[in-house]
Amino acid sequence: MSLMRNDIILEARAVTRRYPGTIALKAVDFSVYRNQVNVLIGENGAGKSTLMRILAGVEAPDEGELLLEGAPIALASPREAVQHGISIVHQELSVFSNLDLADNIFAGREEVRVGVVVDRKREEERSLDALRRLRKPMNVRHQAGHLSLGSRQLVELARTLDQRTKILILDEPTSALSNAEAQALFNVIDDLKRSGVTIIYISHRLNELLHLGDRFTVLRSGRVVGEAPRSDVTRQWIVERMSGRDAADRVTEPSVVVEELPLLRVERLTIATSGDEQAERAMVRDVSLSVRAGEILGIYGLLGAGRTELLECIAGLTARTSGAIFLRDVLLQLKSAADGVKAGIHLVPEDRQRDGLIPHLTIRENIALAAARAFFIERKKETAATRRLAKELSVAAPDLELPVTALSGGNQQKVLIARCLMCSPSLLLLDEPTRGVDVGAKADIYGILRKLAKQGLGILFASSEIEETQALADRVLVLCQGRITANLDRTHMTDEALFAAASPSAPTTPRTYPGAALA
Amino acid sequence: MTTTMVSPPRTPRVRTTSVRTALFILKARAAVVLVALVLLFSYLAPAFFTANNLTILTKHVAISAILAIGMTFTVLTGGIDLSVGSVAGLAGMVAGFLLTQGIAVGGVSHYPPTLICIAVAIAVGLLVGLLNGWLISKAGVAPFIATLGTLYIARGGALLTSNGKTFPNLAGEAARGNTEFPSLGQTFLCGLPMPVWIMLLLFAVAVIVLRKTPLGRHIYAVGGNERAAQLAGIRVPRVKLFTYLASALCAAIVGLIIASQLEAAHPATGESFELNAIAAVVLGGTSLMGGRGSVGGSLIGAGVIGVLSDGLVMLGVSEFWQMVIKGIVIVAAVAIDQLQSRVQAKFLPLLLGSEPEGAA
Repeated sequence: MSLMRNDIILEARAVTRRYPGTIALKAVDFSVYRNQVNVLIGENGAGKSTLMRILAGVEAPDEGELLLEGAPIALASPREAVQHGISIVHQELSVFSNLDLADNIFAGREEVRVGVVVDRKREEERSLDALRRLRKPMNVRHQAGHLSLGSRQLVELARTLDQRTKILILDEPTSALSNAEAQALFNVIDDLKRSGVTIIYISHRLNELLHLGDRFTVLRSGRVVGEAPRSDVTRQWIVERMSGRDAADRVTEPSVVVEELPLLRVERLTIATSGDEQAERAMVRDVSLSVRAGEILGIYGLLGAGRTELLECIAGLTARTSGAIFLRDVLLQLKSAADGVKAGIHLVPEDRQRDGLIPHLTIRENIALAAARAFFIERKKETAATRRLAKELSVAAPDLELPVTALSGGNQQKVLIARCLMCSPSLLLLDEPTRGVDVGAKADIYGILRKLAKQGLGILFASSEIEETQALADRVLVLCQGRITANLDRTHMTDEALFAAASPSAPTTPRTYPGAALA
Repeated sequence: MTTTMVSPPRTPRVRTTSVRTALFILKARAAVVLVALVLLFSYLAPAFFTANNLTILTKHVAISAILAIGMTFTVLTGGIDLSVGSVAGLAGMVAGFLLTQGIAVGGVSHYPPTLICIAVAIAVGLLVGLLNGWLISKAGVAPFIATLGTLYIARGGALLTSNGKTFPNLAGEAARGNTEFPSLGQTFLCGLPMPVWIMLLLFAVAVIVLRKTPLGRHIYAVGGNERAAQLAGIRVPRVKLFTYLASALCAAIVGLIIASQLEAAHPATGESFELNAIAAVVLGGTSLMGGRGSVGGSLIGAGVIGVLSDGLVMLGVSEFWQMVIKGIVIVAAVAIDQLQSRVQAKFLPLLLGSEPEGAA
């Protein structure tokens, strides 16, 4: 830290934030340098979004303090943050599609005459002004619903510009943009920087980070694990810090014995969102894969690559547009997740709280949720079976009759896996198997999945974490914008190979390495 | 850069058992209120705690309790059934029609036996339940709207059966072989009125379904987290359909009991009964958001409302003040319910005996 204190416009000191079951941030120090692009990197669940929400006043830290220009500030709401000149453009755009551009730019802080009447003229002038600064003068009376994603983002940026933002937080701004739109955004960022705005930039895309960034901070599991100026940063440096070890240090697990006959076969699967016939915008395009009994197949991809959509379709939750899915060479026609469960396919969803747990039920009831098929529940048998599973999966709970919400994230995840096992499945699907799970439980879960595979279960998991993919998968398919861009076996799953194949600019022809089984 | 672990704040070691007891009392508050009310009214009105009055009271309570039992099923899934009062009215009218008008075949009226009349009335009620279930689980109509619609449909149907008139004289005629109907609501068995026995039977079945069968667990699961239930392989539409059928069944039975007690079927029977049933369910601690509650609670809730109205009448409190007091009790019950959830969430880590972070 050779720079002068004066160069730091905003600083978070020893910020800690806890959620029920996990610690999102542990004594994090984060310095934002004036008039620079401050890049924040980390895998999903590393705590980036939590830190940004704290800086933008959406959440308050449990411990630690924020300093603006060296003076402590308390941000009780996003409105207060804006008053201090701190604005955030969220990953999910918050544009009102039923309102026009000027209304959007002034939503919640309307310009009024005589205290009540909206001053349309002033609003429109200032909106146009802000859009001009973004090099995109649009008709401010157009409805925002008709705009492309890139233009919507500009509308949000215009809102922050009009608020005389000093510090602008961009949370994965390019995740939904086309390449041309992203390039336009980079130009805007350059302009903003020149006009004296400080930027905090979050993204998963290494190429654009290395192109844009001036200062780099890496978060892992809620801690800062690296901080450096651009001159000291290389791809290697980022990847090593994100994954937490040298690129050379590889986890080597003995490869498991697998049956030759595929358990699951997916052929040319395409999933388009309803009403969208264009294959170009399909969530999953032309994906073929197979999983053998005893094999753990990983699907690695960035946000929006189509991982979740693929798993949900195989589980029967959503319908496919074209293609076929076979289980043990029998064509599956699943109409609901219940059909999938009946066929022996179980999904452990990505969002435990939203899609997995039943909050008011006990741990036992959550585990046994889908298993009971008889008319009456055989309580003794059920208690014995859930106890056995809980022990097998080392669920740390003093009593299975406690509400499931009392458990930590890792133990809740084990409960969801136990729920699937209670039905003796043949194929287990996991979406982000260890999201928001502490390190110890992570290792537990990997061990459990390995053991299950050895017992002959087919496992297909999707992940956006390189470390996890490498630790768990026997073989990995890389998904990028709905297509499979690589099929790698254990010896070829390098950080570089995974990153390259997952980045949207990568060539679209699948690269298959010798020794890797055909997808 | 190094970071230091901040040690989590220490939790005071509270004896698990005392916490559990405190939570239990908070949970059983409806029962506490019921006992308190009975004691209060017995003290204030000497005629209250007499066999005669208690018989009348249990009859009243049985009606709203049966409706509340059915309502609990729908509320547990996060739904609601506003059509129960109308279904009760419709079922009574169908039974009344069959008993007094019979079925005209070739100009001659045939009078079906009482049991058939009852079965047909219940079937018509179930038909409304089926419509509710289909609208909600397949057509995706919000439960409030769907059952508001069937509230009108069933009430209209009830009025159409008789063109708005009452069917009197449901006692039947020996020549027609349908004289048993009044016994449904009027006879006593082992000193208890028949409606109370019916209520106890339905209560027992409901408890067994909710506590001992997978279906019951699925009902709680759908109310607790519908998407998770779906992903776990539960057929959510079927579960919801069942709850609306259960609710309609209870409503139809109530309609039959009332018609039997009055020996007449009136098309306006059951108006605003749905509100009493919802009040009973909520008083019993069942969350309108779904996933939390019990039929036992609803039974006690119905008891509280019944005791409150009868007791206030005996004390000579004006009808208008009765309404005000009833409203206050309902609102207070829900406010306490919110308090309970918060307290419970606060004490949960203590029950675990360790930090929720587990590995931290």
